Amino acid sequence: MGELLGHLALGFSTVFNFVPVDIPGLGTIPIPLNILLCFVGCLVGTLVGVLPGVGPVASIAMLLPITFKFDPTGALIMLAGIYYGAQYGGSTTAILVNIPGEATAVVTTLDGHQMAKKGRAGVALGIAAIGSFFAGCVATVFIAAVGAPLTKLALIFGPAEYFSLMVMGLVFAVVLARGSILKAIAMILVGILMSTVGTDLETGQERMTFGQQFLSDGIDFSTLAMGLFGIAEILRNLDNTETRDVVRKAIGRLLPNMQDMKESALPIVRGTFIGGILGILPGNGAVLGPFASYTIEKKLAKDPSRFGRGAIEGVAGPESANNAGAQTSFIPLLTLGIPPNAVMALMVGAMTIHGIVPGPQVMTKNADLFWGMIASMWVGNLMLLVINLPMVGLWVKLLKVPYRLMFPAIMMFCCIGIYSINSLPTDVMFIAFFGVIGYFLIKLGFEPAPLLLGFVLGKLMEENLRRALIISRGDMMTFIERPLSGVLLAVAVILLVVALLPSIRKSRDEVFVED
Amino acid sequence: MAAEVGKSPAPSGIVKGPQAVVGGLALVALALFALWLVSDLSQGTLRSMGPAMLPRWLAIGVGICGAVLAASGFMREGHPIEPFTLRGPGMVVVGIVFFAVTIRGFDLGPIRIPQLGMCGAGPLAMFIGGFATRDVRWRDLLILALALTAACVMLFGDMLNLPIPLYPQWFSDLYPASFNNDTRMRVTAGILVVIAALVYFLVPGSKDPSINVVVDDTPGVQR
Repeated sequence: MGELLGHLALGFSTVFNFVPVDIPGLGTIPIPLNILLCFVGCLVGTLVGVLPGVGPVASIAMLLPITFKFDPTGALIMLAGIYYGAQYGGSTTAILVNIPGEATAVVTTLDGHQMAKKGRAGVALGIAAIGSFFAGCVATVFIAAVGAPLTKLALIFGPAEYFSLMVMGLVFAVVLARGSILKAIAMILVGILMSTVGTDLETGQERMTFGQQFLSDGIDFSTLAMGLFGIAEILRNLDNTETRDVVRKAIGRLLPNMQDMKESALPIVRGTFIGGILGILPGNGAVLGPFASYTIEKKLAKDPSRFGRGAIEGVAGPESANNAGAQTSFIPLLTLGIPPNAVMALMVGAMTIHGIVPGPQVMTKNADLFWGMIASMWVGNLMLLVINLPMVGLWVKLLKVPYRLMFPAIMMFCCIGIYSINSLPTDVMFIAFFGVIGYFLIKLGFEPAPLLLGFVLGKLMEENLRRALIISRGDMMTFIERPLSGVLLAVAVILLVVALLPSIRKSRDEVFVED
Repeated sequence: MAAEVGKSPAPSGIVKGPQAVVGGLALVALALFALWLVSDLSQGTLRSMGPAMLPRWLAIGVGICGAVLAASGFMREGHPIEPFTLRGPGMVVVGIVFFAVTIRGFDLGPIRIPQLGMCGAGPLAMFIGGFATRDVRWRDLLILALALTAACVMLFGDMLNLPIPLYPQWFSDLYPASFNNDTRMRVTAGILVVIAALVYFLVPGSKDPSINVVVDDTPGVQR
């Protein structure tokens, strides 16, 4: 306990650290830079996340370059702020326009938008913010509590265990992806295959590079992410005729009354718990949280028929689960160095750009970064509460910006962003290339998220596979014989088999029904 | 999802799920391509893996997935191929490539494409890309392109000092020598804003509502 408090104290002192900054005209003034960055991140993240058709992944990919100028701690605090800002903005869009910014906001549209249609948009937004804040507080403490022990666990992991853990994570990602399981497996394999492009680290031989200089370092992660999520998303949205179900009714009062609070209190607690636990699972477990919470609230409700017609529990529970999961999904990244979903994959990219290798060593080597980031999550959640509720009017205006003006701006930000990473015009062309690939993937019913996850884990997997096999002298049995590794693989196999059972498949299709 | 399949028009002939067939064949093609690319690399043994070991087995896995997927398209009914347009992807790609080749200039064989920097490449790329939608309004697009570029100059150039060319050297030389870099940036951004404002006030805009807002309040109206 004392250790935990000490860690949190270190974190908060990092966040509230005053840095002397040279301001032109005023001289050098100490300002709380990290708090400021957290604030800007939350604000900008919300701003971009509110725009319909721009989810958290695209937001982070686009805004990555604005963090370059800062030290790694500040940059990551800002990126984390952008992430939950975008997530929160997505809920606003879901409630007011009925467009889910990403998979986890689908559930919010069900009752949130109905509440908005009944003139209770304000209360829906308010309870979403309060629920998210509560979930954020609990999740922050939770991360701080399990972070240290899990890191110790990670240190006893050998290459075989790491490999098996990643296999399990990818199986989770397959099971939790929308649509066909076969297609999700194919996407993950393609992702890993793409990660093998470039110079082989062990032998120094070039693989699948066509003898081209720019491919010898492999396919650049940021170009892939920005193409698949930024540009492809534009291309897909262009095909839809633009009809936005923007709520015309007044937003109404924002603060829920006692009755609302009473109805929401338990769903918030349950949602936080469910979302928090599911968020730790490798392979995008966070996406399950809102669905699970919604189902449970509906089962527990005295009158389940209210759900789908504006039940406040149907917003409070899933929104808390959503936020708790979003935050606890940092755990696998911070402790094991394994990104559990596409957003965390982007965080890995960002950390690498700032010269930090994600993994268990971050906590000891960059203690202030690790705990600072965790503390900033709580501060960020508080800021979201403070920023968002009074600014709802502004967000409603943003929702009315037509897409024909939005997409050229997104395109421009992607171009500038990707160019400023490496100053290479070829990178800019690559985002167009991957954008078109992503467009056709979507058209053919393939999800790009598993591909990106496979790509990020691919290099790590190959490295650990090789090491494990060198240690075992080429014996594949090592993955099963080592107990921890064997258990992880067994979980993966059981999960895959269960997901393929006809009855489960059917209910899975119902859960992930097309938004 | 099952409900959707029922709604789609009954596919004709032996291909029952065109989407699965095309997707599957694309995966098989990708797998064969990858196999061909790594064909001259050594696979090594499990004990010391060669560079081709993993890519080869992954490609085989991708190929198997593709074959099964394509076969399933012949066996059971599936989704039709979603309609797609070429205009959207086409114009966006042209816009991005234009940005790529003009941001700092590009050697294309014997032809040298001049550097335009962000102030030239940005608005032009946005203007080209903006034609990706059928609902083009060049006046709005022009204002947006100019104003947003000005904002980007201030944000990325002035505040964040990102290493990105802002304008060609000859343009920078037009300013008096007493202007330092920051002043030049700010004045350029100001010029862009002034042009945008001129377009805004001088060119009459159309009066149509900018987006279709669903007025109907009945539940069930969903996108």
